[in-house]
Amino acid sequence: MKCEKCGKKEATVKYYENINGEKRELHLCSNCANSIGITDFGSVFSPLFLSIPDYLFEKEKIYCDTCGYKFDDYANTGFLGCPDCYDTFSDKLDDILYKLHGKTRHIKLLDKNNKVNTNRGYRENNKNSNRKLTKEEEIKKLKQEIQDLIKQEKYEQAAVVRDKIKKLENKKD
Amino acid sequence: MWYEDISNDSDVVISTRLRYARNIAGYKFPHMMNNNEQAKIIKLIENVKLKDNYKLFKMKDIDVDTENSLMEKHLISKEFVGNDDGAIIASDKYDILCMINEEDHLRIQSFESGFNPDKAYNNLVEFTNMLEKNIDFAKNDKYGYLTACPTNVGSGFRVSFMLHLPALAKIKMLNKLFNQITNIGLSVRGFYGENTKGDGYIYQISNQKTLGISDKEIINNVTAVVKTLIEQERKAREILKKNNLYLEDEVYRAYGTLKYSRVINEEEALKLLSRVRLGVSTSIIKEVDLKKIQNLMINIKPYTLKLILKQDIENDEDKVRADYIRKELK
Repeated sequence: MKCEKCGKKEATVKYYENINGEKRELHLCSNCANSIGITDFGSVFSPLFLSIPDYLFEKEKIYCDTCGYKFDDYANTGFLGCPDCYDTFSDKLDDILYKLHGKTRHIKLLDKNNKVNTNRGYRENNKNSNRKLTKEEEIKKLKQEIQDLIKQEKYEQAAVVRDKIKKLENKKD
Repeated sequence: MWYEDISNDSDVVISTRLRYARNIAGYKFPHMMNNNEQAKIIKLIENVKLKDNYKLFKMKDIDVDTENSLMEKHLISKEFVGNDDGAIIASDKYDILCMINEEDHLRIQSFESGFNPDKAYNNLVEFTNMLEKNIDFAKNDKYGYLTACPTNVGSGFRVSFMLHLPALAKIKMLNKLFNQITNIGLSVRGFYGENTKGDGYIYQISNQKTLGISDKEIINNVTAVVKTLIEQERKAREILKKNNLYLEDEVYRAYGTLKYSRVINEEEALKLLSRVRLGVSTSIIKEVDLKKIQNLMINIKPYTLKLILKQDIENDEDKVRADYIRKELK
């Protein structure tokens, strides 16, 4: 639908007016909406949804396979549906998380020796990661680990990890 | 009970509270669950063999007055009161109190009186490890511990201190300090009279960020600020004490009213107790000790008072409160 004021651009703003009981509905493009003083829709929501980006208000249908939660639901509740939602909505969440925490990922819960990293976190036996890593992911992870170890000049440990990678690469899927 | 005692820096710090938000892997978050699913979560946790000093109570078995009294003591959240699908695990002294099926499957809280982050942290980790040995928590490499609300994701860790800052408020330094505190990413909440602009001068300082940061860093960030506030508040008290007569007058008037009033509502009682607390902490009032005042500040709340006196107080709450305070301050 074209804007009812300029008739050129696509109408993206629906505007309701009720003056002395006379109701009117206008479809406007954002420029024309601006020009008649309907501005800054963000500010209407900002006290409540400070950290939710605008695209949330476009009705996008992404479902979490595990719990059926829609990302739209987050805008309404402030909650996610289940732990898997974090993977499902990862792309969109990063934006939100950055605004909330100034970061988009957590520190490693375990250090290189599989011990709890400065704080606490995973048990030493990290058996319950949500899913098994694929061979490629595992290798990628180990390569990163080597880099970290080399930076710390822990060459012996790096060699152990290197052998692990070799072993993995030779292993058939 | 832990909150009946006073401890390190109790002149300024009322309590230390640390909590982890944790969820059980493979389950939806509580707000997505029906009664049966929530019961299953409780069952899973019931099956964990806990040390003898921990007990699990289902919320449906706890009477409403007790639930409200727990809320008045800030041991459970307001939202959790009346949640019949929930449960709590409490230690003997209630210094560990874990809510089950609140916003997350587990809200594990560790409390200490006064300024005691290290002890609270040790207890929190010990209890959490006991659970984690038996239950898989929802977590992944990218986001750490996964929580219903993204504001808690990562460490799921919140460190908060309840502070009594009457002198800083009186010399009008609080707003400035609180601005600085919020600027560095911590949060400040007024307690006891949020609607009356914190007339009890009690504030909670806590971290907001939980992602990409270790527990240690979080503790260090919050405690650094709190330690500064403790020092500043003490300095402010010294300044006020130089003008001793007026401070003395104010705290003794408060003490006098509490000692002799016949009818007093909760708000007024807290306001006056806050002043007496200042008087006692600065050794102006010596007839009564800090521990007594600390306890009064909890015990005069309606549900707690009702439970202590074991009587219905709805019709004459303010009279009963005044009688109770008079008796305690005799």
